[in-house]
Amino acid sequence: MTCTFLRAVQYAEKLHRSSGSRLLLPHFVFNKACFTTEPSLRWGLREQKKMVRPGSFYEVAQKTVWTQGPRPQKAEDSGKQVSVRRGQRGETAIPTTQKVKEAGRDFSYLIVVLIGISITGGLFYVIFKELFSSSSPSKIYGKALEKCRTHPEVISFFGEPVRGYGEMTRRGRRHRVSFIEYVKDGLNYTRVKFYIEGSEPGKQGTVHVEVKENPKNGEYEFRYIFVEVESYPRRTIIIEDNRFQDN
Amino acid sequence: MEEYAREPCPWRIVDDCGGAFTMGVIGGGVFQAIKGFRNAPIGIQHRLRGSVNAVRIRAPQIGGSFAVWGGLFSTIDCGLVRIRGKEDPWNSITSGALTGAVLAARSGPLAMVGSAMMGGILLALIEGVGILLTRYTAQQFRNAPPFLEDPSQLPPKEGTPATSYPSYQQYH
Repeated sequence: MTCTFLRAVQYAEKLHRSSGSRLLLPHFVFNKACFTTEPSLRWGLREQKKMVRPGSFYEVAQKTVWTQGPRPQKAEDSGKQVSVRRGQRGETAIPTTQKVKEAGRDFSYLIVVLIGISITGGLFYVIFKELFSSSSPSKIYGKALEKCRTHPEVISFFGEPVRGYGEMTRRGRRHRVSFIEYVKDGLNYTRVKFYIEGSEPGKQGTVHVEVKENPKNGEYEFRYIFVEVESYPRRTIIIEDNRFQDN
Repeated sequence: MEEYAREPCPWRIVDDCGGAFTMGVIGGGVFQAIKGFRNAPIGIQHRLRGSVNAVRIRAPQIGGSFAVWGGLFSTIDCGLVRIRGKEDPWNSITSGALTGAVLAARSGPLAMVGSAMMGGILLALIEGVGILLTRYTAQQFRNAPPFLEDPSQLPPKEGTPATSYPSYQQYH
């Protein structure tokens, strides 16, 4: 009676174990008890082949059921156990000189990364200052060009639409404007020079702009804007003249 | 200068396309030569043959993709100049972003946005380098102090205008 019962348990346990081993194959089960009683669940690590004795069926069945029960935690635990054991086994194998070398290498990588980040940050700062700060020559050029475009004398002379551009760089792009910054009586002045052209062919003009820094709010205000036309006779179109606002 | 008497814009597209292709072929050729050399079996003859094969197959492809990038960038740039009517650094950044977006159009809108951001940031960095270079090389020629009087094309506060020119001592 007990023999048939034990045999039934054995078959059930074998079924459990086969399905369990398929499911538990990716996980290492390192329970101490399992080392001795679950030879089929260990693979590759120990070659201990122990036959499951009939006397230990109950414990075997219980252990199989238990390992299949809370599977996620068991997997994590066995994972942690694996890493801890691996770490413990591995640390004694790495000598100190190699650790120092690795630390040195990591440190040099960190230095390289920091240098790269600082250079990139510097470039971004420069480009933001050029594009967004109201004291940059590009902004001054943009505002002055808008004022030129709406001036009736300029429109009548050059024809609409009026295009503006700066100095020619080597690649043929003309987005740089020429400018000078100087300080007089403690205030910052900037002079900008760019060129305009209209739809009338052959008529090219040079625009000279000067801005002065307002000491109260730090804003830059136009001091004068005038257009110099390269035709014969030379003509000067004065768009704005605020020099009387000085002193 | 006489050679710049014609408008740079339509011709700049061909210029940039060709320049980008050359850069791609030369750079890609060097990299593929080294890669083909290293990935070939041992024996100098095998390695040389592997290197030549890699260059022959991949370098024109790399050059072609660079040329497409450069040509598209220049086209969009010239288009923006035409629309806005002025040339300034914003054109480059916007062109870079749009080029990135167009070239990633096959991969869907999210990839287009990411590619546009990368193109814009890359162009912004290149612009920043250009600005730094021009400013700091021009500072070498700065004499001190610059002139401080008003230019003579403007009527002086009391009298009549004259016709001589101020001298700009540096160009940026």
